Amino acid sequence: MDRERLAYQVAEILLRHLPQGAEPSAVEAVAADLVRLLEAQGGEAAATDEPSGRRLMVLTVLGRNHSGIVHAFSEVLAEAAVDIVDINQTIVHGNFAMMMIVDPTSSKLSFTDLKAALKHRGDEVGVQVFVQYEDLMRALNRI
Amino acid sequence: MDYTRREILETLRMTELEHFDVRTVTIGVSLLDCGHEDPEEAGRRVYAKLMRVAGPLPGVVAEITEALGIRVANRRIAVSPVALIGTRAEPASYLAIARAIDRAAQEMGFDFVGGYSALVHDGFTRADRALIASMPEALSTTKTLCSSVNAGSSRTGLNLDAVRLVAHMLKETAYLTRESGSLGCAKFVIFANAVEDNPFMAGAFHGIGLPEVVIHTGVSGPGVVCQAIRRAGPCDLRALAEVIKRAAYRITKVGEILGRQVADKMGVPFGIVDLSLAPTPELGDSVGEVLEAMGLERTGACGTTAALAMLTDAVKKGGVMATSAVGGLSGAFIPVSEDAAMIAAVREGALSLEKLEAMTSVCSVGLDMVAVPGDVSEELLTGFIADELAIGIINHKTTAVRVIPAYGKRVGESVSFGGLLGEAPVMDLRRLSCEAFVRRGGQMPAPITSLRN
Repeated sequence: MDRERLAYQVAEILLRHLPQGAEPSAVEAVAADLVRLLEAQGGEAAATDEPSGRRLMVLTVLGRNHSGIVHAFSEVLAEAAVDIVDINQTIVHGNFAMMMIVDPTSSKLSFTDLKAALKHRGDEVGVQVFVQYEDLMRALNRI
Repeated sequence: MDYTRREILETLRMTELEHFDVRTVTIGVSLLDCGHEDPEEAGRRVYAKLMRVAGPLPGVVAEITEALGIRVANRRIAVSPVALIGTRAEPASYLAIARAIDRAAQEMGFDFVGGYSALVHDGFTRADRALIASMPEALSTTKTLCSSVNAGSSRTGLNLDAVRLVAHMLKETAYLTRESGSLGCAKFVIFANAVEDNPFMAGAFHGIGLPEVVIHTGVSGPGVVCQAIRRAGPCDLRALAEVIKRAAYRITKVGEILGRQVADKMGVPFGIVDLSLAPTPELGDSVGEVLEAMGLERTGACGTTAALAMLTDAVKKGGVMATSAVGGLSGAFIPVSEDAAMIAAVREGALSLEKLEAMTSVCSVGLDMVAVPGDVSEELLTGFIADELAIGIINHKTTAVRVIPAYGKRVGESVSFGGLLGEAPVMDLRRLSCEAFVRRGGQMPAPITSLRN
């Protein structure tokens, strides 16, 4: 949220709660102080609220269908603090295909380690795992 | 979801199932500031600069390919034409530089370095002559060094004296490397209209119009095109061209995205994507197979030149949509020894040298990786090369010859180089004499079409 809009909203709240006839310049001054305070407090959170330029990853899992596959991978992702942005799963002729778009921004693991952990989990549950940044999907499928 | 299931699975099919890889990431490095009157000092400067500039590339490429989920077959270096590095114009001087380049490349893990080259399309300098004279020893005593000569251009015509010198040099190199199937000749190519930004070997060099350092990529992908054609089934040619264009778009896009990310990370400019379909001897990665998937019984059948013309054109059209940095040779390569279907076609007698020559008039680049009997004369070899270069000069395109006069080998035998260079069946050359023609020597004048201003 940009600064101007925030200041406008704070001023609106003040006007709603203050008695009629409050000095507009005083309201503005209080609003400005509050905005500065809010920014100092939650500046970082506000900045990541709408992350720009985040680089998402695509995780594709292919193999024979059996129970617990989705759980197996969401567990690895949760432990690494990787956010699942989107998930799509289907069965084609008894074969399980799952595609996840995940956000590794706050991951505890490096890309290489995360990829290794997911591949390792794939071996454990007997499915094939492909992990890559979304760059290629974007480039190949969007003109 | 931003991507459909089909899009994700298609991307994976391409990278995982269809032999798709980026054939080469090539770093171009200018060596023009490494000259010194003392050749040993020039060599030291060359070694130091290559280690400093190209050293980080293998690590950077490994990191980025891992993140993108693609493979890169080779990492290579292209250097300024070595004849232009100012040093004493004697063969021994250039050998010192050759050894320095080879040592640096091997220590950093590059498989080939191109640029042991001379540009003599309109005559020789003393340095050019010394460099060419040093080539047999350079090619037979180094491992990674690749060499080229530009002997003609559409603006200047053909330097026939250069072709004769090269023919002589090739025979000597073939003899010196006779124990390994005359391998030295496989690391040399002679051009007409050589390009400055070619990332592929053996003809890569860092042109004089390029920046200090630059990253080029060369894609590959006959396997991807071949599978797309097979899936398309019996459609008409217009529909087939569309299928090829779409496949070429995807292949080129990968080369572009990889090249840009590598260049960014290295902190150097990105040059070009060469969108040539480059085959490997691996089954399923063959341009000949693409032609056969288009409907030919064998490469070399009637219709081969037409099919190849259409393929090359469609690849270019798809490729230019994917990047605005197209460069290098950009067409389809038809190196005989590096392409399983071509090797088979030659063995069965389906593909002759004459047909191959006709094919080179509609594709990049030329007669590539063909072995001929070791006893062909220098004059015959000169005529053979001159024919191919004339096609390029008159048609304003690059043509090249990479021919191996395989020492001690006869038609029906073959020479095996292993790895990417593959195996070349020795092909028959017409033995009619062209001696009186090539002994005239001199410069074949520039064609009338060179007058364009």
